Amino acid sequence: MPGQKRRVSLKYCGSCNPLIDLSRIGQVLPAAISQETDLLFVSAEETNIDTIIILCGCPRACGNKETIRARALRCIVVAGESVDAVPVAEKDISTAIIKKLKPK
Amino acid sequence: MMCGDEYRESLRRLKPEVYYLGEKIESVADHPAFIPHVNSVALTYDLARAPEFEELLTTKSHLTGEKINFFTHVHHSCHDLVRKVKSLRALGQQTGSCFARCVGHDALNAIYSVTYDLGKKNGTEYHQRLVNLLKEVQAKDLFLSGAMTDPKGDRSLSPSQQKDPDQHVHIVARKQDGIVVRGAKAHITGAVNAHGHLVMPTTSLKEADQDFAVCCYVPIDTPGVIHIFGRQTNDDRKCSGCLIDQGNPEYGIVGGEALIVFEDVFVPWEHVFMCGEYDFAFDLVERFATAHRQNYGGCKTGLADVLTGATYALAEVQGTVGASHVRDKLVEMVHLAETLYCCSIACSCQGYALPAGNFMADPLLANVTKLNVTRHVYELARLAQDIAGGMLATMPSESDWKNTSVGKYVDKYLKGVADVPAETRMRLLRLIEGMTCGTALVESMHGAGSPQAQKIMLMRRANWEHKKRLAQKLSGTGESRHD
Repeated sequence: MPGQKRRVSLKYCGSCNPLIDLSRIGQVLPAAISQETDLLFVSAEETNIDTIIILCGCPRACGNKETIRARALRCIVVAGESVDAVPVAEKDISTAIIKKLKPK
Repeated sequence: MMCGDEYRESLRRLKPEVYYLGEKIESVADHPAFIPHVNSVALTYDLARAPEFEELLTTKSHLTGEKINFFTHVHHSCHDLVRKVKSLRALGQQTGSCFARCVGHDALNAIYSVTYDLGKKNGTEYHQRLVNLLKEVQAKDLFLSGAMTDPKGDRSLSPSQQKDPDQHVHIVARKQDGIVVRGAKAHITGAVNAHGHLVMPTTSLKEADQDFAVCCYVPIDTPGVIHIFGRQTNDDRKCSGCLIDQGNPEYGIVGGEALIVFEDVFVPWEHVFMCGEYDFAFDLVERFATAHRQNYGGCKTGLADVLTGATYALAEVQGTVGASHVRDKLVEMVHLAETLYCCSIACSCQGYALPAGNFMADPLLANVTKLNVTRHVYELARLAQDIAGGMLATMPSESDWKNTSVGKYVDKYLKGVADVPAETRMRLLRLIEGMTCGTALVESMHGAGSPQAQKIMLMRRANWEHKKRLAQKLSGTGESRHD
C-alpha cells in the first residue's frame, strides 16, 4: 500500500554452532532497517510481516523451515556466509540484506 | 517459562538442608561456592528467552500445547533428539561448564517410557502420575536433578546382600498415603540448586531386591533430605575473592555435585513411579543411561570449542601459533571434538520410538559416544596443556600480580608477545587450568557411567552372531565346521 512501511522481522536458527557472528548481525540489522524510510522492524511474533530474515549460522540452515517461512510474505535466508544461496562474505551480509529489502 | 533471576528467586524461597565444608548453608543462590553453578543453570532459563537461542531451547508441550523450556520436553522424534545435542553444544559454548539440567531431563524421558510399559503390563497408575508431574514441571519450568547412582557399598554384592542395606536407596515402609525411603545417592549433579530430585534405581535387580526397586520424585526441601556438597579442584578460589584465579568465575567447573542422604523420607503415592517392580529396573537404567550418554558429544564438544579457542588464543599470545607442531595439535583438538559431536548426532539420528511414543537414541551408538568422551576429553586436555606450557602449573596468583611490590615483576615476566598484556595470558591460562585439571576430567570419565558400564552395554548390544555369520560366509567356515 502506498505510504505504508513494509514490516521486516528477524528469526534465528537456534545458534548451536554458528560459523558467523549471528548476534552481531542481529544487532546491526534492526538499526540498519530503521534507517530506511519505507521499512519498519517488528518482532517475529507479530502478524502481517512482509519479509522475515532467517538468520542461520551455517549451511545446514535449521531455521529455514515452513513454520517460519509462513509467517511472512517473503523471506531472506542467511545460511553461514551466504544470502539466499549466493555466497556473501560475513562482513557484507547486513549490507546484502538491506540491498535485497530495498525496492528495485 | 522462568528467566534466570526468577530461577534464583525460586531457590531462595526453598529451604533445603545443605552442608559444605562442615557448615550448614543458608542460601545456595547467594553463597560463593554455589553461585557459578546457579549462574550456569540460570543461563538455561535466560537463553530460552533470547531470540538467538529460542529455536533450540524452547518447544511446544505435547501434553498442553504450551511453549515450554526444552529441558522439560519429552522427545517425540529423531529431530528432537538431534536438537537436544545441538542445544547442549550451544550451552557448553556459552558456559564452558556444566549446566546440569540435562540429567533431570533425561530422567523424565526415561521414567515416562518405563512407567508406560509398567502400566501396560501391570495396570499401574505410575504413568499418569508421571504425566501429572511433567505438567507441573513444564508449567513451573522446574529444574530436577536425576539421582541414580547409589553409594553401592561392597560392589561384589547385590543390594539385598549388602551388610548395610542403606548402601542403595530402598523402601523401608509402605503406608496408606505413600512410602518411606532410606539410603543415599552419590555425586548428583546440580543437587543443591535443583527444585527436586528424580530418584531411580542404579542397577538391574532381582526378586530379592524388590525393596530397592524404587523410583520417585522428592522436592529438595523435603524433611530428611540432606545434601553434602562435594569439593572440587581449587574450589577455595571461589571463596577467596579472586576472579582471574578461578578461570571461569561466572560458570565454574562442571556441575557442582553432592551426596544426597535420604533419612527416612516420606514420599506420597502421587510421586511414586516404581515400587517393588524389580523386573523394570534394568529398562529404566538402560534408557536413562542411553539418553544421558547421548548428551556427552554435545556438551563436551561445546566445552572443547571453548578450550580449543583458549588454547589457540594463548598460542597467539605466547608467539607459538605459527609453529607447525602447534597448529597440528590445534587441528587434532578439532578432530577429537568433532568426532564426539559426530557420535552424538549419529545416535540421535538412529533413534527410535518406544511404546509410550517418545523417542530414545540408539543405545549402542550412545554408549560409543560416552566411551569416546572418556578418552577424547583427556586427550584434548593433554594437547591444551602441551601447547600452554609449564606456566599452567606454576603461574603466580592474581594477588601477587596485584601486589604493589612484586606485581610489576609478574607483569613483566608473564608477558608474551609485546603488544598483549600479561593479564590476557594469565586469564587464558587459568581458564585452561580449570577446564583440564582435576574435577573436570574425572567428570568426563565417570559422569553418565564409568567406561566399563559403557563396555557392558556394548557387549550386550553388539550383534555378535551376525558378525560371526558374515565372517563365516566370506571365509567359507560355516557353523557346521564347528558343530
